Amino acid sequence: MAGQRFGDLEAAIMDRMWSYGRPANVREVLEDLQQERSIAYTTVMTVMDNLHKKGWLRRKRVGRAYEYEAVASREGYTAKLMREALATSNNQAAALVHFLSDLSPEESEAFQAALNVVRPRDDK
Amino acid sequence: MTAVATLLGYAVLLGILGPRLLRARGWADRAPRLGVLVWQTAGASVIAAVVLAGLMLVVPIVQAPHGLADLLAACRLMLRLHYEVPPQPIAGYAGLFVAGGVLLWTAGHVLTTFIATAVQRRRHVRTLTMVARRRGDLDALVVEYDEPLAYCLPGRRRCVVLSTGALERLPDDQVSAVLAHEHAHLEGRHDLAINLAVAFGRAFPAVPLLRAARSEVPRLLELLADDVAARNHDRVTLAAALVTVAGGRTPAMAMGAGGGTALLRVRRLLAPHDPLSRTGRLTGGVSIALLVTLPLALAANPAITALLERHCHFPV
Repeated sequence: MAGQRFGDLEAAIMDRMWSYGRPANVREVLEDLQQERSIAYTTVMTVMDNLHKKGWLRRKRVGRAYEYEAVASREGYTAKLMREALATSNNQAAALVHFLSDLSPEESEAFQAALNVVRPRDDK
Repeated sequence: MTAVATLLGYAVLLGILGPRLLRARGWADRAPRLGVLVWQTAGASVIAAVVLAGLMLVVPIVQAPHGLADLLAACRLMLRLHYEVPPQPIAGYAGLFVAGGVLLWTAGHVLTTFIATAVQRRRHVRTLTMVARRRGDLDALVVEYDEPLAYCLPGRRRCVVLSTGALERLPDDQVSAVLAHEHAHLEGRHDLAINLAVAFGRAFPAVPLLRAARSEVPRLLELLADDVAARNHDRVTLAAALVTVAGGRTPAMAMGAGGGTALLRVRRLLAPHDPLSRTGRLTGGVSIALLVTLPLALAANPAITALLERHCHFPV
């Protein structure tokens, strides 16, 4: 599937777009990517077009080319995703098995204290 | 008739008293893998007993195919006699309705639970691959996020996810303990067990056993993953990691406040490792065998009686 094949490239392009923090056209991204891999202009163009269709990038026409820009920040996407992960694991069906779900601040303080007692003997 | 009643009685008793029996003296916490097996088998046993009870009512109205019917003619008479329930066809169809209904209802919930999980997971992975960075040295995906978080995504493209918040707070040995815990979840396919328990619980929320299993199975799987991680990691290190990850969480992110699994897990890791005795394990194993065979034996009992009375010779 094309989506599968371009998955890595999509991530790499979004990574660049987020690091620029400003609009960029296909050529700029291409030149950046070419520093570590050989890649064709049309490939980058296709993938960026896909990212636009999927709602990751917005674009406006500047002269003869499109200027692309990330729709939202990486932090924004991450925060939303992590909130979702926590919410879904709470209803368990998603089976995003969490390392830890609940421990109140008081409990955690009490345990930290307990650990400090256990640790020194343990480190010997 | 008495056999049908016995089966239904078995289902009701196990369905209601099951949770109390299975939680007795916290044995499962000392053998979480066995515990999960017993809970799941008990749940399946309740459902199977009801299905079998329904099928028993169907036996007398079954029209066997011609050849087989001749062979079994005498036998069928005996079987009918032993499975006979007064208002014949009505009871038969009622039985068919119950057995088929319960089966389809269960299968439907299992199917929808698994599909919903897969869809949710795929959507999550799609965004995750964009925002996360792969850390080859950790064999994990790292997301830029201040909250200390660690979880795993089971399935075809399984992976462990750590937040930068977790990496900043945890020393190396604790990170590897956390990773070991998550990999135990992934390698043990704990998600399948959770999905099954959730599906059963959703299908029959009125049955105390199935409702309890829905929370008990995930809880025991956490303990199991802790035990697996503790094979190669210090228990205190793992406990410390738990406290760090949990303690750094802002109140808004903390779920289901107080008295949850976390508390038990930390306590359990700090106490000396106390696996269940061999006798205890044996009891668990025997229970599983009984939970599987008892409904079947109860359902087959009339047929066996017929066989023993020598009126009925099954062409083997």
